[in-house]
Amino acid sequence: MTIREKGYMHWDGELKEKRFPWWPITWLGIRLAFKRKYFKFILFSALGLAFVFLVGIYVSERIEDFRYMIKGESAVLEVNPAFFKAYLSWNGMLFMMVMILLVGGAGLIADDLKHNSLQLYFARPLKKSDYLLGKANVIVFFLLLITLVPGLIFILFKLLFAGNFHFLTTYPWLPLSVIGYSLFVTGFFCSYTLLLSSLSKNRRYVSILIVAIYFFSEILFKFFFENLKKNPAYALLSLRANLQQVAAWFFKLKPEFAVPWYWSFLILLAVGVAAAVVLNRKVRGVEVA
Amino acid sequence: MIVEVSDLQFSYGRSKALDGITLRMAEGAVGLLGPNGAGKSTLLRILLGFLVPQQGRGRVLGYDIRLEQPRIRRHVGYMPEDDCLIPGMDAVTFTAHFGELSGMPRQEAMRRAHDVLFYVGLGESRYRPLESYSAGMKQRLKLAQAIVHDPKLLFLDEPTSNLDPQGRKEVLELIRDISSKKEIQVLVSSHILSDIESVCSDVVILNKGRLAAQGKLSELRTLDYRLYEVRIKGEGEGFTGKLKALGCRVEETADKLLKVYMPANMAAREILATAEEVKVQVRHFVRSRTSLEDFFAQTVGVD
Repeated sequence: MTIREKGYMHWDGELKEKRFPWWPITWLGIRLAFKRKYFKFILFSALGLAFVFLVGIYVSERIEDFRYMIKGESAVLEVNPAFFKAYLSWNGMLFMMVMILLVGGAGLIADDLKHNSLQLYFARPLKKSDYLLGKANVIVFFLLLITLVPGLIFILFKLLFAGNFHFLTTYPWLPLSVIGYSLFVTGFFCSYTLLLSSLSKNRRYVSILIVAIYFFSEILFKFFFENLKKNPAYALLSLRANLQQVAAWFFKLKPEFAVPWYWSFLILLAVGVAAAVVLNRKVRGVEVA
Repeated sequence: MIVEVSDLQFSYGRSKALDGITLRMAEGAVGLLGPNGAGKSTLLRILLGFLVPQQGRGRVLGYDIRLEQPRIRRHVGYMPEDDCLIPGMDAVTFTAHFGELSGMPRQEAMRRAHDVLFYVGLGESRYRPLESYSAGMKQRLKLAQAIVHDPKLLFLDEPTSNLDPQGRKEVLELIRDISSKKEIQVLVSSHILSDIESVCSDVVILNKGRLAAQGKLSELRTLDYRLYEVRIKGEGEGFTGKLKALGCRVEETADKLLKVYMPANMAAREILATAEEVKVQVRHFVRSRTSLEDFFAQTVGVD
C-alpha cells in the first residue's frame, strides 16, 4: 500500500530548538553556489593564486637555489608583512573576491525576493538575524577560504620551510593581522553583497551592481586623481583603495595614499551600516507597502 | 482553543485592515472567508507573526502572538498563496530544508520529505528541478513543505488556486484527509466558497476588517434566515418592494428566479400573502437548502 493510499502519517520525532538555526541556510547556500556555472572555476582560480604565493614562500627559503631564475628581484620574494598584505589586498585578489560575490552571492537574497521564499523562511522559527546570518555565512565561508585559510597556511609553511620560529618572533602580531584583515574584508564584502542583493529581485541586476559599483568607484578615483591635482584624498572614492589603505594599517605598513587609514575604515564601515539599515527594512516575511 | 484573538487592530498606513477582531477558533477545519480587502491575509500574517498588531492580543495553540512567535511557528505549517520556491533545488531538498529549519534533524527531515512528497502526489517528480514544475505541482509542493514537520496547526492560503479541476479535487481530498482524521487543525483561507464548504466544519467570515459571522457551518446555514426560491407571473417590482419592507433580502437571478432570504421570525405564508396583495401569481415556491454562498452573500451583502 502506497503512502497516498495509507493517508497522512504523523512524524513521531520531536522538533527541537537548534543552537545554530542559521546553519541549514548556510549549508544550502554553499551547495547551491557550487552548482552555479563558472563558480568552481573562479574559486579554484582564487585558490590557485594562493598556491602561487605558497610557491613564493618556498622559493624565498631556497633563494640561492633559484637565484638563476630570479635575477636580482629577490626583494619581491621576501616574506614579511608586505608579502601578506600583497596577497590579501592586491588588485587581483580583490578582483577574485568580487567575482566570487558576483556568481555565488548576488542571488542570496534577490532569489528569495523574486521567488517569494522569504515568507517560507519566516514561517519557521527563525529570526531575521538567523536568516541574514545564514546568508552572510555563505559569503564568509568562501571569502575566508581564500583569505584567512591561505594566510594562516602561509605562516605555517613559512615556519616549516624555515625550520625555526624566527619569523614568528620577528612578527608575533602577524597571525592576528591576517585574521583581523581577513575578517574585515570579508565583513565588508558581506555587507556590500547582501545590501545589493536585497535591492533587486533580479540576480543579474545585482551581479551588474556588484561589479559596476566596485569598478565605477575605481574609475571615479582615477579620473579625479589623474585630472585634478593628484590629491590623495580622492583615494577615498575607491573601494579598492580604501580596502588597501585599511590593509596597510592591519599589517603596520605605510599606506599607499597619504590619507589617514581611519577615513577609509569609516567609509567602509558606513557601507556596513547602510547594509544593516536596508536589510532590516527589506527582509521581512511580507511586503508591507 | 486553537486560535483566540481579541480586539485585534491593524492598519496599513491610513487604511484599516483589521478593526477590532475578536474570535475563537475551535478544533477542526475552519474556513476563513471574506471578499477582497476583508482582512483575511492580514489576520493570517498576524497569527504567524509576520505583522505585529497595533492593538489587541491573541494566542495561537496557547502561545502569545506578540511574545512567543518562534514557538507558534515551530508548530504551525503555512502554505502561502503565492508561488514560492528556491531556484536550483529539487523538491526533496527543498522540503527537507524547510523541515530542518522547523527543528527536525537533517536525516529525519530528508526521510520525511520523501514521505510527504509521495503523499501530495509529487513522488515521481521529486528530483526534478523546481523551475520545471507546473503551477499545480508548485501548489502541491507548498503543501508538502507546510506539513513536512507534522504541524499541529496548518494555515492554508488559497490552497486550490492555479489548479485544474482534477488537481483541485485531489488537493481538497488531501486537506480533508489531514484535517478530519489526523489531529491537525486546519485554517483555510479561500475565496472559493465550495472549497470551504467541502472541507471545513466551521467558518469565520470577515468583512471590511470586522468579524461578520462565525460558527458551525451547519448552524450558520439555517440559524438566522431561510431561503425560498420563488417564480412569479406579473409585476415583480411591487412584490419585491413589499418583501423588502417586511425585512427580506431579495435577489433576482438571470432566469427571473427570485431568491428570498427570510428573517427567522417571519412565516413562509407571508410571501404568499404578499403575492396576493400585489396581485402576482406564484408559479414556483420551494424552500431551498442554503449554501455557504447564500449565507456569505447574506452576511457581507455581496450580490
